[in-house]
Amino acid sequence: MVKINPEKITLDEEMSKRNLDKSSVTLLEEVKTKGKVWRDLSKKWGVENPDPPWKITLEATCDVLSEVSCALPGVERRWEEDELTDEHYKDVPFPERQLLALAHSMIRRGLIDEDDLKRRMQEVDKRLNMVE
Amino acid sequence: MSKNHKAAPMVDEVSEFEILELAVRELAIEKGLFTQEDHNAWTDYMHTLSPIPAARLVAKAWLDPEYKKLCIEDGVKASLEVGIDWINQMPTKFGTPSDYCNLRVMADTPTLKHVVVCTLCSCYPRPILGQSPEWYRTPNYRRRLVRWPRQVLAEFGMQLSEEVEVRVVDSNQKTRYIVMPERPKGTEGWTEDQLTEIVTRDCLIGTALPKPGKTANDKRYVRPAVNPYGH
Repeated sequence: MVKINPEKITLDEEMSKRNLDKSSVTLLEEVKTKGKVWRDLSKKWGVENPDPPWKITLEATCDVLSEVSCALPGVERRWEEDELTDEHYKDVPFPERQLLALAHSMIRRGLIDEDDLKRRMQEVDKRLNMVE
Repeated sequence: MSKNHKAAPMVDEVSEFEILELAVRELAIEKGLFTQEDHNAWTDYMHTLSPIPAARLVAKAWLDPEYKKLCIEDGVKASLEVGIDWINQMPTKFGTPSDYCNLRVMADTPTLKHVVVCTLCSCYPRPILGQSPEWYRTPNYRRRLVRWPRQVLAEFGMQLSEEVEVRVVDSNQKTRYIVMPERPKGTEGWTEDQLTEIVTRDCLIGTALPKPGKTANDKRYVRPAVNPYGH
């Protein structure tokens, strides 16, 4: 017989009462719509690795935000990932939705700014796609 | 290099997601949330993680009753024998809240089957078991396993008789778990290396049973939760 831990039920209620601004982020909606997910890219290019190369650096970012700076504790990030996935990213595969949820949490918590992120993405895009 | 050598295929285009990941990281560093050195240390650490140490721990325990006793009494100490130091291997050098230094090894018996979940988020014994699979993180698995463990295990292909008690262990920020399944028949006389190969990640979570010849995890369809978050 499995007993449900009442402590966890309280926590669940606590989570649903939190005031995370779950409104959509325009920039992330664009990435969600336009971005090519690893599942499709790996199929297209015949790559067998099940995870994109950036998954490990994403995991490291999540860890350092929690363990080094305490700016975004791991358990809160995961709660928010669940909430935001339900609300905005449920059709996005993993780990792309983990990345979108992390960026969403960081913007809504004021850790990074949406306009700054947009500008930085344009710079990174230019850099990564530079031919010479 | 041989004339016949062909480079492995690679993805030769940059996705928006790759750009987003790098942009988020760079901005976080600029804002002083962490340094590049911090990030490098964690990335290096991530590269070292895999389920092999946990598989070896189980294989060793199958062969050595004294070691099995140690695993059950002190999982952290037993981990040292398979090369995992829960305290000092972390980039922090003192463990972390995400990989807390308390491992419990749950030994199955013919009448008791353990299975691991994290109902709260996705706590997982990463130092000894690597990164968690996608399905382990889903609310669907997390919510349903504690309510209907037998049915969920059946969905994983494990049909258990009524005589077998199913015990769900709930990981949290203080304690992590791995399952020590029973040694399967047909492995008599096997070496530790041979036994290690059949102890898959899913066996160590408790959603699969080791079987001679089976050395990989099955692919899982990831289901959305029926009742979304907060309902």
